[in-house]
Amino acid sequence: MIDFKHVKKFYPNGTVALDGVDLHIDDGEFVFIVGHSGAGKTTMTKLLLREEAVSSGSLIVGNYNLTKIKNREIPYYRRELGVVFQDFRLFPNKTVYENVAFAMQVVGTPRSMIKRRVPAILSTVNLADKIKCFPRELSGGEQQRVALARALANNPKIIVADEPTGNIDPKMSIEIMNLLMKINKLGKTIIVVTHEKNLVDYYKQRVVMLGDGKIIEDRVGGMFE
Amino acid sequence: MRKHYSLRYFTKQAMTGLWRNGVMSVASVAVLMSCLVVLGCFALLLININVNLENVAQLNQIVVYCEYDLDADAIEEIGSQIEEMDYIDSVTHVTKEDALETLREQSGEYEALYNDITPENNPLSDSFEIIYKGTDETEVFDLEAQLRSIEGVRKINSVYQVAKTLDGLKNGVMLVCVWFLAILFVVSIFVIINTIKLAVYSRRSEISVMRYVGATNWFITLPFILEGVLIGVFASLIGFAIETYIYNYVEKMALADLQMISVLGYGKIAIPLFFGFLVIGVITGIIGSVASLRKYLKS
Ligand SMILES: Nc1ncnc2c1ncn2[C@@H]1O[C@H](COP(=O)(O)OP(=O)(O)OP(=O)(O)O)[C@@H](O)[C@H]1O
Ligand SMILES: [Mg+2]
Repeated sequence: MIDFKHVKKFYPNGTVALDGVDLHIDDGEFVFIVGHSGAGKTTMTKLLLREEAVSSGSLIVGNYNLTKIKNREIPYYRRELGVVFQDFRLFPNKTVYENVAFAMQVVGTPRSMIKRRVPAILSTVNLADKIKCFPRELSGGEQQRVALARALANNPKIIVADEPTGNIDPKMSIEIMNLLMKINKLGKTIIVVTHEKNLVDYYKQRVVMLGDGKIIEDRVGGMFE
Repeated sequence: MRKHYSLRYFTKQAMTGLWRNGVMSVASVAVLMSCLVVLGCFALLLININVNLENVAQLNQIVVYCEYDLDADAIEEIGSQIEEMDYIDSVTHVTKEDALETLREQSGEYEALYNDITPENNPLSDSFEIIYKGTDETEVFDLEAQLRSIEGVRKINSVYQVAKTLDGLKNGVMLVCVWFLAILFVVSIFVIINTIKLAVYSRRSEISVMRYVGATNWFITLPFILEGVLIGVFASLIGFAIETYIYNYVEKMALADLQMISVLGYGKIAIPLFFGFLVIGVITGIIGSVASLRKYLKS
């Protein structure tokens, strides 16, 4: 459950990035967030990741009230979230396996569990045969699937993807979106920020449109307008 | 769930970090090591001054030298005046013949030089060796002044003066030492801060991913703190080796050339010195890395 209540976000330079957002997302939902450049989409993901704090209003994600969360709780909160960026952010000198295992290592997962889980996750994203490859040996779509696998590594309840298909060609984009749909079917909440009208129109999911920091439309099965 | 953070993981990260910024790491170790060696030299100097001070202070001795051409009566008069004074424990009259004999004995192979000296042309004078009881400074000065004012006394040699000089030297050394060290440690911490900052910078993408997947701050920072610890350990090990070399060299020199100075054997000092170096080195390393990780440790 994600609950934005009258959320405002001001950056230190005075920019009003979000100007009173009210948004409720239930567990297991699939939501597209769309809007023009500078509308505040990335700012919303930053608030969800608690990379930035809300300026006013309240934001509750699952059991965590992000307006009141203590600094030392943030890492534990983040384990409930998986995040995917436009630019993949993989380690070029680590193999596919190591890239995914890294996310588990740094939260203290036992080695035996890592060994079992990484191949399973990689087959979820259809990359079982690339387990020993380095990122440079993969296509953009494949790299993004590794990033998705890493986001899934700690079994989060929510996946946040900020323009996950921004850097890959349309055919590969479909593949990524299909995967996100599949993961959604497995019970995870999916939030996808995107610019791509075709994709949004094709999948007929809930679409939240932001404009100048406000929600200007929120429709299930919506189209990009 | 039990956590499986392995020490091996952290140590490997820390070593890799040091290796990757080789020049800065070497600089940090070198500067910190220099600090420790200088600190060690001062500490050992102070310890040895103290040892010598103790030896000197135990003597409680003043030697009073008479004028050269006094007759036996006048000398005896001086002796009895001394005996009447306060604080006096014992007075020994050393005639100029005794003194000559002692010199002759001490001269060893050069004894022949004294063959021409007869009681008539003995260039020495009679003296009184006094052991006193007072330990209070004013009492000692008082006594010294009284002795000086006796008619027929040429000069007095107070060990207390030597002790005072050594004590003054000790304070001087201490003062120089404190300032010098303060500056050196500030420099070391500064260099370590920059080394760790570089290490953090070269791993910034890794750190950002760690934060996104929920690594705790201590997990993220521990390798860097360990890097500071390693800098401290390396600096103290090398510093200790150098200090050992220096001390043994100085000890040999002091024993050969300056026989009146007693030098504490290195065996007694080595272990405390080693742990002192290690503790100070490691603490400095930790201060440096924590200072450069402040922002990560906070948020
Ligand atoms: N760190 C920041 N400091 C100051 N202003 C910022 C910062 N990040 C974003 N902004 C501003 O906040 C507003 C919203 O930015 P945001 O990145 O959320 O937009 P967006 O919808 O993701 O745009 P795009 O589609 O271009 O990615 C913009 O006006 C932007 O300039
Ligand atoms: Mg954006």
